[in-house]
Amino acid sequence: MSSEGSFLVEDFINAITTQLDRVQDALRLKAVNRPLTYALKDISLDLHVFVEVDVQGNVRFRSSGPNEVGASTINLGFTTITRPMIEENTVSLAMSRSPNLDEIGLGDDERKRLEQLGVRNAAQLQKLGQSTSTTSVARLTGIPVDRLKNALSLGKPSVTQVSPVHPPVKPPPIKTPVPFVPPKVQPQPPPVVQPRTPVLQPQTPVMQPVQRTKSEISHPIKIAPGTKKLNLFGNNLVGGDGVPQVKLNNQTLNISDADEDVLVVEMPDAPESGALEVTLTDGQTVLYQLSFEDEEVQFESENFSDSENREDFFSRDLWQPE
Amino acid sequence: MFQKEFSETLIELIESVRPPTETGLIVTEAEIDVPLEISSVVQKDKLVFLGNVPHSRWKSGFLPKVTLGHIRVVLEED
Repeated sequence: MSSEGSFLVEDFINAITTQLDRVQDALRLKAVNRPLTYALKDISLDLHVFVEVDVQGNVRFRSSGPNEVGASTINLGFTTITRPMIEENTVSLAMSRSPNLDEIGLGDDERKRLEQLGVRNAAQLQKLGQSTSTTSVARLTGIPVDRLKNALSLGKPSVTQVSPVHPPVKPPPIKTPVPFVPPKVQPQPPPVVQPRTPVLQPQTPVMQPVQRTKSEISHPIKIAPGTKKLNLFGNNLVGGDGVPQVKLNNQTLNISDADEDVLVVEMPDAPESGALEVTLTDGQTVLYQLSFEDEEVQFESENFSDSENREDFFSRDLWQPE
Repeated sequence: MFQKEFSETLIELIESVRPPTETGLIVTEAEIDVPLEISSVVQKDKLVFLGNVPHSRWKSGFLPKVTLGHIRVVLEED
């Protein structure tokens, strides 16, 4: 932080702001027991500092000591602002949660050049790239296009896995043990094998309909009936434009919790199988084909005879002659 | 030590505008121009901003630089 008595400007400002916050907190506490209290509305300070620039290009301040001449005068003014003003003038929390530039593989020099354009994280880089183009950003910063594209791909939002949120497990009821009775085995004659002439019958392979959206193919997911919530695991899920939008059969689902790597989505009261559509913060859409496990059982009972179970059916080579 | 955290000095300055209760007066707003000795130190790897009113009125060659602070205090209404 300190380099021979000098400090980064942001550290300097932060140190003053911390002191002012302490004043406001102390005055607020005094208001608990006093009928009238005061608030610090504005404060301005004329600071005598020496302005330095270090080898990394950071501007640093050093307080002027006794008898030192030639110091610059910095006039700093602080005032109280309202919540709407804060929201209007600061970066959104969602934007600040995006990965930093060094986390998406950019070096110190590249990071500094992007910071000069007001880009401090992946979401801001994504936004700038969308509003201009990656080539323009590369030209302005001098960073090669492939480096930027690589960094953008690392910072892109993605969903990797969808799984139901399991309710807390109740301990199973204690059952009295049933005494083991060995089954009676009756000897059976060996089966007679009769040679069969193979008959070639071309079969049409069973194809699941593939739904395509703008960018993604649907993935099948099966959940237990009565599932109340779904976990959507991924990367960079919370971006500059907020959280992704999740729809089941075009009905928007409520997101109860959102973090960088997981979204918790609430299922409707009477959910039905259908398309689970996740629209990520960069506009990319991921489709899942949601179904319930009891429907699978019904499917089995409807489509497979007693002599042929599902496992045998799927393990069989459909193209092999019978 | 004449150096103390800037917040402590500010709280004392703000409280100084409060008139005694028995007077029945209420100060609704105050503007204070005050000379301040400002410095900063690193404590527990954090920069701490110090500020106090001038500790001496005598001129000497070793006095810290005095900066002018302008403070506006208002009565808080709930």
